[in-house]
Amino acid sequence: MATDEGLRGGSGTTLAEPAAATPRGAAVAGGADAAPAEPGAEHRLMTINMGPQHPSTHGVLRLIVTLDGEVVVKVVPDIGFLHRNFEKIVEGWSFPGIVPFSDRNDYLGAITNEVAVCLAVEKMAEIEVPVRATHLRVLFSELQRIISHVLFYGTFGLDLGAFTPFMYAFREREMGYTLMEKATGARMLYAYNRLGGLRNDVPDSWFRELEKFLDYLERQAWPEYMALLIENQIYRERTIGVGRLTPEQAVAWGASGPMLRATGVAWDLRRAAPYLSYDQFEFDVPTGKNGDTYDSAMVRMLEIKESIRIIRQVIRILPDGPVLGRVRPNVRPRPGEYYSRVESPRGEVGVHLICDGGAKPYRLKWRAPSFCHLQLVPLMAEGSKVADLIAAVGSTDVIMGEVDR
Amino acid sequence: MNILLFSILKAAAVVAFLGLNAFVLIWAERKISGYIQRRYGPLRVGGPAGVFQSAADILKLVAKEDFVPGGADKWLWTLAPAVALVPAVLVYLVLPIGRTVVLQNLNIGLVFFASVTSFTLLGIFMAGWGSNNKYSLVGAMRAGAQLFSYEIPLILSTVGVVVATGTLSLQGIVQAQVTHHEWFVFPQILGFIVFYVASLAELNRTPFDLAEAESELIAGYFTEYSGIRWAMFAIAEYSNLFTTSALGVTLFLGGWHGPWLPGWIWFLIKSYVLVFVGIWIRWTLPRVRIDQLMDLGWKFLFPVSVVNVLGTALYLMVR
Amino acid sequence: MALWERLWNTGKSMVVGHGITIREMLRKPVTVRYPEEKPPFERGSRSVPVLKVNEETGLLNCVSCGLCERSCPPSCIEIVQAVGEDGHRKPWPETFQLDLSHCMVCNLCVEACPFDALEMADVVELSSYQVQDLIFNKEQLAELWKTSRALRVAGGERLDAEEAVAAGTPARP
Repeated sequence: MATDEGLRGGSGTTLAEPAAATPRGAAVAGGADAAPAEPGAEHRLMTINMGPQHPSTHGVLRLIVTLDGEVVVKVVPDIGFLHRNFEKIVEGWSFPGIVPFSDRNDYLGAITNEVAVCLAVEKMAEIEVPVRATHLRVLFSELQRIISHVLFYGTFGLDLGAFTPFMYAFREREMGYTLMEKATGARMLYAYNRLGGLRNDVPDSWFRELEKFLDYLERQAWPEYMALLIENQIYRERTIGVGRLTPEQAVAWGASGPMLRATGVAWDLRRAAPYLSYDQFEFDVPTGKNGDTYDSAMVRMLEIKESIRIIRQVIRILPDGPVLGRVRPNVRPRPGEYYSRVESPRGEVGVHLICDGGAKPYRLKWRAPSFCHLQLVPLMAEGSKVADLIAAVGSTDVIMGEVDR
Repeated sequence: MNILLFSILKAAAVVAFLGLNAFVLIWAERKISGYIQRRYGPLRVGGPAGVFQSAADILKLVAKEDFVPGGADKWLWTLAPAVALVPAVLVYLVLPIGRTVVLQNLNIGLVFFASVTSFTLLGIFMAGWGSNNKYSLVGAMRAGAQLFSYEIPLILSTVGVVVATGTLSLQGIVQAQVTHHEWFVFPQILGFIVFYVASLAELNRTPFDLAEAESELIAGYFTEYSGIRWAMFAIAEYSNLFTTSALGVTLFLGGWHGPWLPGWIWFLIKSYVLVFVGIWIRWTLPRVRIDQLMDLGWKFLFPVSVVNVLGTALYLMVR
Repeated sequence: MALWERLWNTGKSMVVGHGITIREMLRKPVTVRYPEEKPPFERGSRSVPVLKVNEETGLLNCVSCGLCERSCPPSCIEIVQAVGEDGHRKPWPETFQLDLSHCMVCNLCVEACPFDALEMADVVELSSYQVQDLIFNKEQLAELWKTSRALRVAGGERLDAEEAVAAGTPARP
């Protein structure tokens, strides 16, 4: 083989690989290949490890990257570092207990996780949810979407080397946390949904604070985000045309959410398969054109505005009433299976629940959008440079908690 | 004998200023970055403003384990921080601090400055190669390519000033600005912009900090250095930050020229204003990619600086 | 983008971006200098389930039925019922141990309790140097209830009327 001849003919050191990648090695062996680059190419490739611990913000993700100089030849994501056995553990828990536990999967989109589980169990156990609870679930899902997309903005900037937008994003997230704490009691992992509605109601004063937060976000924070990072020319050069995906690729690999919409496919579960009371609200679904990281980030920034719009509508039409329906203490859904899907900030979160009539689920499968998006990273990044790889991974907005569950 | 004593005193003053400058700039950068990000910087060490944070950092660095990486080229690896630090010290020789205060008024001051700062490149290569670490080597290659590419626009942007004044002596250039009552930043605005952008690239600061902050991937040329050895690189970087800003002030912003206050105070004020601008830029902008960096250096800054020189020369010929 | 457009956008975005950072630099930082300053801890914030004490009798409401133990998803409650000298079991707990290091703060125990014996306290400064210190027994839990300003929200229907009005939540009939 040309490579063995190259090694035997080369200097034989193992320290600096470029020294062994000598075309003269192939020449010594008799010029096995006409183009000296070919047998040397394997030696020129360098495999490095972006380890599970790294100073960027993706979580415990390991990328095994093969580089040819500056160009990424192959990238393999290695996952499983945050596996916590969610699906097996909940097979031993009763249904009300699954809801707080599902928060931990996509910890940045906690409310949407809980909604997914609640919808599945409520459908199978035929539990009635009051109207006020349904609307409040919509409100909290959208508030969660705002908070998550603001964090995406910050971490995407950090991946690109802009340190300040991250801090500004956390300033707004702190306000969001305070609001959620006033309503639900917790800042990040809420355990707020219950089978049949919500844990507790929110006082009217909370809605006034929410309106103030939304006004501030729309008028001051959002334009500042756009002006500081998104409209920055360096940012545009780093993200336009980078990590491109075609709509066919995105659909074939199971992308959903902002990743899919960035390629131009206008698929939003809130429109296509409405759940809760989304069919009563007016909102646009922003889509991109090119499927690159710029569009991906822009779709999320525009979704912040759409979520603000939805929340305002919810506040206007919110009726009075209870927030928790009548639920038997021992929830036993009828046997069968059901797949519930919600639009989380990352994409389609699916809960496939199989019940056998007992008080515990037989099997609960969690469909995580980040799992599918991570498989898109090689498509987006192979052939481009290292910095583009990092931008591409950042733009997928993966949360390792739900990738590994 | 007197000359020897005087020279030793001058050298000691330079080293003392170097240390003090690094001390202040590390703290200042952390405080400024903090306030830009709506947070406090260092707060507890040394009173409510944390002014002795740098002292705590130095103590910590001194206490770290001193090791030589296995398989490293011992002499290259050990000497690299020194080779990076010596140019940082040497350039103080030609900076005109006051009307009559300059350590050595070389009549090729600008050439001395430019050639000495190029030695930093050598230090980086020594660090990258001597570390016996493929990541360090590739990081050093990148940093080297960056530094090398931006030397040319940096120097060319100053040639416009040289052509206008006819002297390479830094003190002479300041004198020319004083006698004409006009700082060169106004007629040579292109040169100033090119100079400042190129100097940010020379200093490896954001938006051109690929060598350092590509830590997600390759840890950079000083990955194998810890403790005081790393501190020497950091001190060299902050010293270069000051001296490059000082050079910009000398060439374009009138050096020590200013009303009422003594010259050296104006010099320091103006230099630190440029340093502040450098820190401000660092915490505002994202990073450029390596190929975009090369494009910027060769395809934009280089032609602009050439145009600047030609334009200046034509203007002077016509006048 | 055409070269001129790129140049123009570069200049404009640089100026605007730097304007934003310098403006933010001159505003007061949002950091709260803990522990000298404390942020306003929210009433109604959940941290640890605590045992309520009947103010008249001074006894715990808990009758050690074990419903909370069964409903706790991570199984962090351990109850041992008291046995009197006559050998009969008594309606109060001998030990009631709550492992805060495992507690998910999900509120399910509070909702499961039919005797209104548990409540979520809003003390948040609970860190300790040893993990063993995070296992609270019944005396510590009762103390926490007494000293904290817990908002008793448990499933909506058992909201105390005066507390509700004070907290701004509409009281349920």
